[in-house]
Amino acid sequence: MVPFLQEMKSRLGSNDDFFIQRVFLLDKPVVIMGLSTLIDVVNTKSALLEYIEQSFPSGKTVEEVIKAMSTTPHIEINEAISAITKGKLIIYFEVTKQRVIVDPIMKLLNRSIESPTNENVFQGSMSSFTEDIDTNIGIARKEFNSRRLVVKSYYTGSLQKKRLSLLYDEERVDRKLVNQVIDRIENNQDKEINHIQNLTKVMGFNSMELIPKFNTTELPQEAANSIRKGRVVLFIDRIPFALVLPSLLWDMFALENDKNLPKPIMISLRLLRVVGVLATLIMPGLYVALVSVNPEVLRIELALSIAQSRDGVPYPALIEIIMMLVVLELVIEASIRLPRSIGPTITMVGGIILGQAVVAAQLVSNLLIIILAATTIANSTVVGVQNSLSIRLFKYLIVVLASIYGVLGILGGMVLVSAYLAGLTTFGVSYLYINPAERRRDS
Amino acid sequence: MLKTITRMLIIPCMAGMLSGCWDNKDINHRSLPITMGVSMVGETYKVILLIPEPVERTTKVRIVYGIGKTITEAVDHISRDMESDIDMLHMKVVVFDKPSAEKGMTDSISGFMRARDISPKAVVVICDEDIDHFFKRTKQTMEPSGTTLYNYFEKNAGWSPEVALTRIWQVYRSIYSFTRDVAIPVVKSGNDTMMQHLGSAIIKNGRMVGQISSEETLLFNAFNGESAHGKIEVMQHSSVLIVSNTMSHESKVVNNQMYMTSRINLNVSILETSSHVTNDSIKKELDSTLTDRCNALLAKIQSSEADILGLGQFFRNKIPRAELKNWRTEYLPRLKMDFSVRTVIQNEGNLKTPRRK
Amino acid sequence: MNKSLHVLIMYILVHLGFIFFMYPGDIISSSEEGHWIPILIGCIVHLLVIWTYMKGMSYFPDRNIIQIYSEAGRIASVVFLGPVALYSVMVSIITIRAYSEVISIVFLSNTPLWSMMFFMLLISTYVASKGGEAIFRTGILIAVLFLPVVVFIFFSSFQNVDWRYVFPMSTKDFSFFAKRSFYESFFAFAGGFLFLGFVQPLFKYKSKHVLICAVFFIPFFLFSVYVPLLTFGQATASTFHFPYIVTMDSVHLNWLMFDRLTMFFLLSLVTFILLFVGLVLWMTVSISKRFIPIFKSYQLAALVIVIYSVCLIIPEWEIVQNLFWWNSILRFYVLIAVPISILIFGLRSKGKGARERA
Repeated sequence: MVPFLQEMKSRLGSNDDFFIQRVFLLDKPVVIMGLSTLIDVVNTKSALLEYIEQSFPSGKTVEEVIKAMSTTPHIEINEAISAITKGKLIIYFEVTKQRVIVDPIMKLLNRSIESPTNENVFQGSMSSFTEDIDTNIGIARKEFNSRRLVVKSYYTGSLQKKRLSLLYDEERVDRKLVNQVIDRIENNQDKEINHIQNLTKVMGFNSMELIPKFNTTELPQEAANSIRKGRVVLFIDRIPFALVLPSLLWDMFALENDKNLPKPIMISLRLLRVVGVLATLIMPGLYVALVSVNPEVLRIELALSIAQSRDGVPYPALIEIIMMLVVLELVIEASIRLPRSIGPTITMVGGIILGQAVVAAQLVSNLLIIILAATTIANSTVVGVQNSLSIRLFKYLIVVLASIYGVLGILGGMVLVSAYLAGLTTFGVSYLYINPAERRRDS
Repeated sequence: MLKTITRMLIIPCMAGMLSGCWDNKDINHRSLPITMGVSMVGETYKVILLIPEPVERTTKVRIVYGIGKTITEAVDHISRDMESDIDMLHMKVVVFDKPSAEKGMTDSISGFMRARDISPKAVVVICDEDIDHFFKRTKQTMEPSGTTLYNYFEKNAGWSPEVALTRIWQVYRSIYSFTRDVAIPVVKSGNDTMMQHLGSAIIKNGRMVGQISSEETLLFNAFNGESAHGKIEVMQHSSVLIVSNTMSHESKVVNNQMYMTSRINLNVSILETSSHVTNDSIKKELDSTLTDRCNALLAKIQSSEADILGLGQFFRNKIPRAELKNWRTEYLPRLKMDFSVRTVIQNEGNLKTPRRK
Repeated sequence: MNKSLHVLIMYILVHLGFIFFMYPGDIISSSEEGHWIPILIGCIVHLLVIWTYMKGMSYFPDRNIIQIYSEAGRIASVVFLGPVALYSVMVSIITIRAYSEVISIVFLSNTPLWSMMFFMLLISTYVASKGGEAIFRTGILIAVLFLPVVVFIFFSSFQNVDWRYVFPMSTKDFSFFAKRSFYESFFAFAGGFLFLGFVQPLFKYKSKHVLICAVFFIPFFLFSVYVPLLTFGQATASTFHFPYIVTMDSVHLNWLMFDRLTMFFLLSLVTFILLFVGLVLWMTVSISKRFIPIFKSYQLAALVIVIYSVCLIIPEWEIVQNLFWWNSILRFYVLIAVPISILIFGLRSKGKGARERA
């Protein structure tokens, strides 16, 4: 056998889905190879034959065909292997020992464009990004069909080649930002990118930050809007959402889709989300502070009824609230994990526990249940689940501080959180900007 | 680098602080007295606390006593003997008995203001009977809600315009202010109702120097800008409901003689009349009744040299500050005041009243 | 976006934080009548100072005062930056100590002082460690969160006001010039203006905006003194350490869910103060980094430890007040020398520039 084929066989032959077949093209023997799990072999073959017959009238030699099909004159063995793992077809011409990489008919391994599953849309376009990066870029192009849209793709990783695409608006984007992002990617081309944490490393962000440096969204209209506002959108192959750089605080409160509603309604909706975030942060802390440190702030009627409802609760308010908060987090986590068919069980059991039983058993006061429920509801008003997770963590900081310093602790905690948020920057863009395009204008 | 240091510092601190939830007692381990009685027996204070305690869906009221050389000592004694900590921050009503009020409340009031344990917003009341008896009676009427006594003085609850509403900070102000004194409601326990309102005590520099009636207290309140809304004014031939009231004052000094003209503007609505009464006669009657009452009030004020109406306030820009110090003794007794009442009958109810005779 | 906003907000927060605590007490005890005179004198001095300062700074676009003094020579930087740094440290100590004491008096009487000071310093240090730009941004967030609360409660404090206490308005008594408390009242003005010299490379701002803001701020100075006066009268108000806070305490709003508004008001102001201390720490460390080029990243920690230790050593309120008084010399030095020197340097560099161009 020929060394190229042998080499290929020895390198990939251990995979059962690797196929090598001999076929005749223009009466010349060629070998085609690829992965049968990625390539629809039968259709590919017939399409190939049909293609050659149609586009090359008889009389052409194989050499000419090869010339027309291949872009690079000589393909290295490593290149061939990575092409195969990507799902390409390799044609090896036995006579001339040349090889060509061809796009085959792929097996359909992608889901179709569906409605979003992690972010619900109210009266808006319902398509969402999928795992396939080309589909995603395509959708983004449809949402923002302008010649100013630039798509740049990179392959990173040494073990596997992952495709990474950068989309931005040529004119509005902050050039400095794009250059920094590109620099980072180019300097780290050998690093694997499998998940966002990898990407965070590649971008050189601190991996211990609580707030994600990328705002993730699976809604094409949100991504397109970000591009329109001069931000950079990153797609990674097999990750079904867009990563928007830089992420901003305002993303927690504003959805592009809000603008489909009248302005006063939009403003009040956004205000509601702000209130939701504040309530999530403050309410549990306020309960602890008022119950154990500063009860004088409560009106007497309220103070008496709280004292009554806490009567017989055997531990301090801090323990009480943390215990219940953890139970609640468990409920939330469990309802994500469980298959949809058993999911309602958690709701039911959780509802019974939180609703009545703990209070009846005098383990916690019933005011606490109200606080907890309100907190959880408020927490869900945030745009983007990833954002609500960070808020959920901050809440504990404030609860602990409140248990020591009362109301002072809450406000101090708010200052800490504010300082933390204010100190966040992504490539020099502060987290607190509302519209980063404005920054460019005045600098 | 610095960031890491600060962060590393924060973590052990949090842990350290957690263990240090020092004296933070949860609300169910605190007793929240809402009423305090203070009575002076010789040189010692006797303090009575009325503590609502939640028991099985209702509230029981508990009375505790303490004796000490100071109020705080007495409270401390009570706290020591009780199973929960006493937290005075919710105190709403402070009751002095009449003998102590006459002796002077300056030290107690200053103490309240200083320590901040007791809110300066607490209402001060004088009880005109044995304070023990008063509290025992109150306790009976207070169950089961526990806050009845406080509601009596709460504007959006049971307060009515002829009850003076004087708070600790106002009493404290009267101790120092040159031109302002206060009136404190005088009550005793009622038979069927919670309390019986007896009028108001005139307080001068923290000491009770005289007493005015309920009707006069209404004027006191009106003078201080409180609304007399809802008060029913009964005269010989009719009774009217005061819908709104305003006052306007003018002051002048001529030849070192103080003059003041006050006009009371009343909007009333007629409730009851005897058959032949006209609107005009109602107005006239109202005018004379109120003017008489005002004059009587002024006479009381002047004789006790306590400026509960804050009349001195109107002369602050006319008398130099050095002289203002002597307002109560030098100027107030010589003040000439002229009252007039202007009544607008806003409506007559459902029935017509004859215009003219 | 107008970056003046960051500076204005900072200005407002810092001064709000100062004026409601010691300032009313100082003014009330400095004069028996006509309190608006000492207040306005203070405000005019304040306006003059910041005008001079910003005028001087405007000759050096994109420089902060550290750079300006360093360029002016070694002596200038020692003579001016030294006192500024020292003053800043003193201000941090006094502020942390005094405010933790106030908090302890007003509520949290159970919490030990050391832990309160620790907490306050911890937050300030954290804020300072984030650097200048972040401090100003934090200011914006805090303003959004707490300024509405403060303004609302500020207006509600007019509840018990009796306007007739305003009289007597005029006075021939100017003895307040001889009173210690009058000079102490400048604490409210002197602490907050220095930061204007540190903003420039980070943010550009228009000095006109700051001046307008300062003028609009004068009513707050007036009312912080006059609200207690109008509620209690001079004779009573002068018996309080913190007249405004007691006045707040007497406000009774029975439709509100909470009982003690003072607490929210006070604590919102405390957050402003925490931010201010963070700012001051940052300024001090920027200066010290310029002069001590080693251990740059540990300087903040070292400074904070020193401040905390000094705070711990101070045992009683009396000493805080003495510190307050001793600090006056430094305060007036900073208040007068720094702006004027900056203006002089500015004029000189402008002259030099003109000569070079000619």
